[in-house]
Amino acid sequence: MDKRLFKWLIWILILAISLLAVGLFSLCIGSSGIPFKRIVSVIFEGKGSAEYSILFDIRLPRIILGFAIGGALSLAGVILQGMFRNPLVEPYTLGISGGAALGVCLNIIFRLHQTFGIFTLPLFGFLGASLVILLVYSLSIKGGILKIQGLLLTGVMISFISSSLIMLIMAVSRVEDLHGIVFWIMGSLEEPNWFLIKLVVLVSIVGLIISYVFCLDLNAFSLGEEEALHLGINIERTKRLLFILASLLTGCSVSVAGIIGFVGLVVPHFLRMFVGGDHRILLISSFLSGAGFLIFCDTLARTIISPMELPVGVITGILGGSLFVYALSRKQVLIGEK
Amino acid sequence: MLEIKNLTCGYNSRFLLKDINLKVEKGELIGIIGPNGSGKTTLLRAITGVIRPKKGKILLEKKNIEKFSFKELARKIAVVSQNSVANFMTVEEFVLLGRIPHRRRLQFLETEFDERIAEEAMDLTNTLQLKGRFIGDLSGGERQLVVIARALAQEPGLLLLDEPTSHLDIAHQVKILDLIKKLNKNGLTVIIVLHELNLASQYCNRLILLNNGLLYKVGSPGEVLTYQIIEEVYKTVVVVRENPISSKPYVFLVSEEERQKRGESVYAEKKGD
Amino acid sequence: MLEVRSKKPEVRKICFLFTVFCCSILCISSHGQDKFPQRIISLGPSITEELYLLGVENKIVGVTTYCQRPPQAQEIEKIGTVIEVNLEKVISLQPNLVLATSLTNPKAKEKLKNLGIKVITFPSAKNFREICEQFLELGKIVGREKEAEEIVYRAKKTVSSVKQKVKELPKPKVLVQVGAKPLWVAPKDSFVNDFIEIAGGINVGPSGENGLYSREKVLKQNPDVIIITTMGIAGEEEKKIWQKYKTLNAVRNNRIYIIDSYRLCSPTPVTFVETLKEIVKILHPFVKEHQCTRTSEHQ
Repeated sequence: MDKRLFKWLIWILILAISLLAVGLFSLCIGSSGIPFKRIVSVIFEGKGSAEYSILFDIRLPRIILGFAIGGALSLAGVILQGMFRNPLVEPYTLGISGGAALGVCLNIIFRLHQTFGIFTLPLFGFLGASLVILLVYSLSIKGGILKIQGLLLTGVMISFISSSLIMLIMAVSRVEDLHGIVFWIMGSLEEPNWFLIKLVVLVSIVGLIISYVFCLDLNAFSLGEEEALHLGINIERTKRLLFILASLLTGCSVSVAGIIGFVGLVVPHFLRMFVGGDHRILLISSFLSGAGFLIFCDTLARTIISPMELPVGVITGILGGSLFVYALSRKQVLIGEK
Repeated sequence: MLEIKNLTCGYNSRFLLKDINLKVEKGELIGIIGPNGSGKTTLLRAITGVIRPKKGKILLEKKNIEKFSFKELARKIAVVSQNSVANFMTVEEFVLLGRIPHRRRLQFLETEFDERIAEEAMDLTNTLQLKGRFIGDLSGGERQLVVIARALAQEPGLLLLDEPTSHLDIAHQVKILDLIKKLNKNGLTVIIVLHELNLASQYCNRLILLNNGLLYKVGSPGEVLTYQIIEEVYKTVVVVRENPISSKPYVFLVSEEERQKRGESVYAEKKGD
Repeated sequence: MLEVRSKKPEVRKICFLFTVFCCSILCISSHGQDKFPQRIISLGPSITEELYLLGVENKIVGVTTYCQRPPQAQEIEKIGTVIEVNLEKVISLQPNLVLATSLTNPKAKEKLKNLGIKVITFPSAKNFREICEQFLELGKIVGREKEAEEIVYRAKKTVSSVKQKVKELPKPKVLVQVGAKPLWVAPKDSFVNDFIEIAGGINVGPSGENGLYSREKVLKQNPDVIIITTMGIAGEEEKKIWQKYKTLNAVRNNRIYIIDSYRLCSPTPVTFVETLKEIVKILHPFVKEHQCTRTSEHQ
């Protein structure tokens, strides 16, 4: 199968190079318009100039965070779509984003981030996400077996309930809090705390490595749970671990950056059209593409109507959705259908 | 090879199989027959460990199957069921999935040995020429052969098939069962669930008749396929004669029209057997 | 370092004096420069207006797209909206002070602080007193304490005289509507409440900070005056809606007024007073104009 391996390596190389290119592009583009020739000299001049600060204190953290979160969300999307064998599943379908948003809302209206520090915002987001994950999980387990379809339905329901609760909170909150909530929900890669950025990068990359332990399991899952069991996969253990992995990736992403939709839904589908459904290549290519995609969307978000900034979730939705629809209409292949 | 002792199992509170006792020797080709809902598929599921027995136990090579890990079990038993299709793989990739139980800890790619076994399996099932095609493009018969190839790639000692011919035309039915017979002659133990009594009669050397979750009759086709037994279990009128080609019992269905036409004479004929 | 064990005591004295002289020069010059910020960015329209009032407008290097008044402010470089700040722009302008409001994205504030830029947040003022306090605070920060005190003093004096003037007048029941769909009125805990009460009216809005109100409640309260902010064209629409409820005093006596939104939002001490006078005219239309300008001797 050397030919196939060769093809895979080429894909990985192409995607990695694209990612690097997008990252550099993003570093050079911004609303304060530093001309390209200046950039090299700014880097060599070192710290001190405002331009250096712009490049390395404002743009670079966003690029790094975009890499980590784009990768994490796409990875979670691949895992969940593989587990559920349902093409409409994305990381937020399980209600994780709803829980995180609810946690952040509560933090904002009780002013906790002002009393205890801004660090508590992502913490509450993560707590909210974890609570929802636990709830969804415990409601879907019967007799030691994790019912996949039940998981999906429970997740969707909890999503709806969370949205309603959030709207309730928004209706009775003060104007300032309202803005804070809305902007958090719209998603942003702006994060002042380097520790959090490093944390998300760590979770993201470790998540990728761990997911490879299950790459063949995911391949077997595409045949159905019973078939996978006949192939020797311990499906209960695998389901549990994959669910926790996907939840962790999503929970971390959502708590730090808010709700950035579509990445986890569209990127895996898109990649499947090009590299096929074998998870050994799909996992890493989705990761790399998702990272590049999010960085690109963020760059657009902060430059299109400069000096104002669009929420990055808007760009991922419009761009991602349209690209996907276009590609779908061209290629005949539909994913995950009998 | 396989021993089933006092097996009682089912789903939730319904017990579909009650107190089954069965012994399967190495190299046998056993057919499981019975009316719908008699527990045939449940029996297969119990053997592969998908459902756990409420009472009784199943021994594979003298060891309780609950003591096997899923992976170990998959190296010994392979299952060909009706619904294992993945449309977006090539035949080759699909067959290679059968090597999953044999992969080592951190092995991500198939070894040369894996590829060779997969090729052999495709060769045996006459699907080698379909190697690069997508499963979604194949006909029903070709697809079934490919599934068998995947099962063979697992290098099992025991092969279980759940109604592999139910949706195929007669040519493919014969093709597949011939293949299974050939594999059985080469040493593979086979348990096959069939609803077609005549196919079961033709190909299997032992038949197990299930009725309402109980073992109704076990024996050679001649012993099991008598009109009394069949009428008792299936609750329909049949006539059993010897197949002119193979000398195995052949079951003839009697339609309502025929029954009314013949009236008493049919019964007299039968009583005469 | 210096061999102070020098034989000549004069040399020692000279060295000492020289050092003191140099240090004091350094202190004075750096102090004089660091004392008040030279490059200021304002993240709120009222802050921008106040900076102009204090006369430090030449020090403003960046404002929001909402900072429309005074008109000269529109010429200044824009760095985003009140809520979303474009950090790149802010950094490229190299400010030494950023004045934020409670609406500013906290993450942006945090980021700027991490980069060593001074950020001071002015929370929304809830009443006239807080407006003045914040104005004085701002004056101190930019080194125009005296001017700030003067402006506040004049404003307070006018407010007192208004209070005196309306003391004896009957208090009409007032409703100030600032939002439609859902209906949002000025609650008792807001600075708009101050407008009403100082102008000699009774606010029939809800107590607390939340302004969500039902029309039923309004009908029950039966205000004598309804003031609606423009909200674009919605103001006119709302007026028509109210006019359908013929039982309301305000409708019967045709006392529904529309005020420009900007007058009721984010006031400075000066605009507060101006708007206050307008509201007094609305609430007490039969009181003579010249009484406003009389400087108060009744204090």
